[in-house]
Amino acid sequence: MQNRRLFDRIESIKFKGITKKYGPVYAVKDLDLEVRGGELLILIGPSGSGKTTALRMMNRMIDQDTGSVTINGLDTRDVDPVRLRRNMGYVIQNIGLFPHMTIGENIGLVPKLEGWDKKKIHQRVSNLLDFVSLPPDIFMKRYPRQLSGGQQQRVGLARAMATDPPLFLMDEPFGALDPILRKQLQKEFLKIKNEINRTIIFVTHDIEEALVLGDRIAIMDQGQLVQVGPPEELIFNPASELVSDIVDNQRKYKHMDTLKVKDLMSAYEDKYALDGKTEVCDAVEEMTKRDLETAFVFDGHELLGQVTMVDLMKCRVKAQKLADLARPMKTFQPLDSVAFALSEMKKSGEYIAIVMDPNKPAGILVSDEVLLKLI
Amino acid sequence: MLTIQVIAEVWDKHLMTIRTIEHLQMFSIALTLSIIIGVSVGVLIYMRPKTADTVLNFLNIVETIPDLALIVLLLPVLKLGAGPTIAACVLYSILPIARNTYTGLKGVDAQYTYVASAIGLSSREALFRVRIPLSLPLIAGGIRIALVFCMGVVTLGGLVAAGGLGTVLQNGVQLYQKDAILVAGLWTGLLAVLLDGFAGIIEKKLQERYGTW
Repeated sequence: MQNRRLFDRIESIKFKGITKKYGPVYAVKDLDLEVRGGELLILIGPSGSGKTTALRMMNRMIDQDTGSVTINGLDTRDVDPVRLRRNMGYVIQNIGLFPHMTIGENIGLVPKLEGWDKKKIHQRVSNLLDFVSLPPDIFMKRYPRQLSGGQQQRVGLARAMATDPPLFLMDEPFGALDPILRKQLQKEFLKIKNEINRTIIFVTHDIEEALVLGDRIAIMDQGQLVQVGPPEELIFNPASELVSDIVDNQRKYKHMDTLKVKDLMSAYEDKYALDGKTEVCDAVEEMTKRDLETAFVFDGHELLGQVTMVDLMKCRVKAQKLADLARPMKTFQPLDSVAFALSEMKKSGEYIAIVMDPNKPAGILVSDEVLLKLI
Repeated sequence: MLTIQVIAEVWDKHLMTIRTIEHLQMFSIALTLSIIIGVSVGVLIYMRPKTADTVLNFLNIVETIPDLALIVLLLPVLKLGAGPTIAACVLYSILPIARNTYTGLKGVDAQYTYVASAIGLSSREALFRVRIPLSLPLIAGGIRIALVFCMGVVTLGGLVAAGGLGTVLQNGVQLYQKDAILVAGLWTGLLAVLLDGFAGIIEKKLQERYGTW
C-alpha cells in the first residue's frame, strides 16, 4: 500500500530552528544543521546533549515543538510517520530483534508488510545475510536468542537494509558490544558503508568510533550544536574547550617513540583463547557463547594463530580442527616500541596482534585503537 | 465396590457415551465463545485504556455471582436447555481471558514496541505482529483458567436440563444411586484433569515459542 518511495536519493536534510522542550528543560534548542546527501554524519556529545532527540525527530519518533526538518525540501510533518519510517533504515543499540520471529522473518518483516512476494523476500533476506557475513542456510531459520550479540547486531543492520532505503538512522548501534567486537563490526560497517553509499546519521558517545567512521562530526552539548565539521577540523580547530576535550587533541603531542606496546595494548582475557584440537562446529558454538568474533588458537601454551567467526562460517569441512585453520599472527613483547609494532602490522595488513610476556598472552594490540589513543 | 461390571452397567443405563459427547459439545462451544469474546474485550480495553478499570471491575462483579444463581438468573431469558449453561460459562470465562490478554499486551517489553514503530509498523500491524504474539503465553494462561471454570459450570447444567454428565449426577442424586454418582463424578473429574493437562502442554509450548527471555 505504501510502495512508492518518498525519495530515491537524499540530496539534503535540513534542521531549521528546531526546539524541543520537556517541561522546563530544553532537549534541543534552536538547532540548525544540514546533512549532505551521501555522507555519514556523526552526532556526538555527552548524555543529555540532545543527539538522540535530534535523530528521533528525523523519523518522527519525537516531534519538535518548533522548527522544521526537511528531507529534499519535503517537510517531515507533511508525511504520514509510518510511510516516512519505511523510507529509512533504523538500527538501535539494543537491536530489538523480535524474539518470536526467526532471523529471516525479522529481516523480511517490512518487505512483507510492503506486499513483496515470498520468493522475492527470501531472495532479499539471503542476499542481506550473505552481505553481513552470516551464511543464510545456517541463520535464516534461527531465533534471535540463539545468536551472539555481534551476530544479532549484524541482523539488525540487515533488517535496516531490507528495503534498500536511501537513508539510515543509527542510534549507538555498537554501544553495547565489547571493545574488540566493536572494532571488528566498525571495520565491517565501514566496508558496507562504502559499498552501499547511502546517507547515514549515526549517534554515538564514543569519539574513537566517530573519528573512524564519520565523514563529518557534529558535536552537541546541552541541546545545542557546538561545532560541525570533518574530523581534522575538529582536532586542529576546535571551536571551544568542550570540543577539544571531546576530541582530546592534547594527546597528539605524545611522543610516539617513547611509548611501549604495554602502554597501548588492551587487556587480554582467557575467553579469547581456544584449543587447537577444537572442531570447527564446537568452536563456532563456543565463540557464540562467549560473544567473540576473533579468537586465538593455542596448543597448550604455544600460540598457533587466530581464527575469526567469518572464516569459520565459510569453512565447509565441519570436522576440521582449529589447528589447521588458524592463521599465523604477529606477536610482540610488552617492551617493544609501539611504532615498530604498528609498522610491522601495517606491512602484513593485520589489525590485531597479540602481546606475549614472554610465553604467556599479556594483552591485545588493535591497530585502530592504538592510533586513536595517539591522536 | 466399583467393578468393571458396575461401571459398564452404569455407563449403559445412563447413556454416558451420549452424555459425554453432549458435555464436551457444550464445553467446546462455551470455551470457543469465551476465547473470541475474552480476547476481543482484552484487546479493546487495551486500545481504550481509560475503559479498562471499569470493564474489569464489572467483570469482577459478574465473577462473584454464585454459578448456580447465575444459571438460574439466565433461565427466563434463555429457557431450559444448554443456553443458560453456555452463557454462564462464557460470562465467567471472559474475565480471566480478557484480564490476561490486557496484562499481556500491556506488559510487552517497551523495546519491541519502540522498534516496531521505529521501523515503520503501523499501530495495527504492531498489535497483530508483535504485541499479540508476544502475549500468547499469558493469554493461554487465561484460557486455561477459563477451561477449568467451564468444566465446572457445564457439569452444573444437569440441574437445568442442559444434558451432559451433570444430568447423570443429578439422576444419581435423585434416585439415590451411589454407583451412578461415583462413576459420573470420577469420569467428569478425570475429563477435567485431562483437558487441563492438555492445555498445560499447549501453554508450555507457547511459552517456549513466544516467551521472551
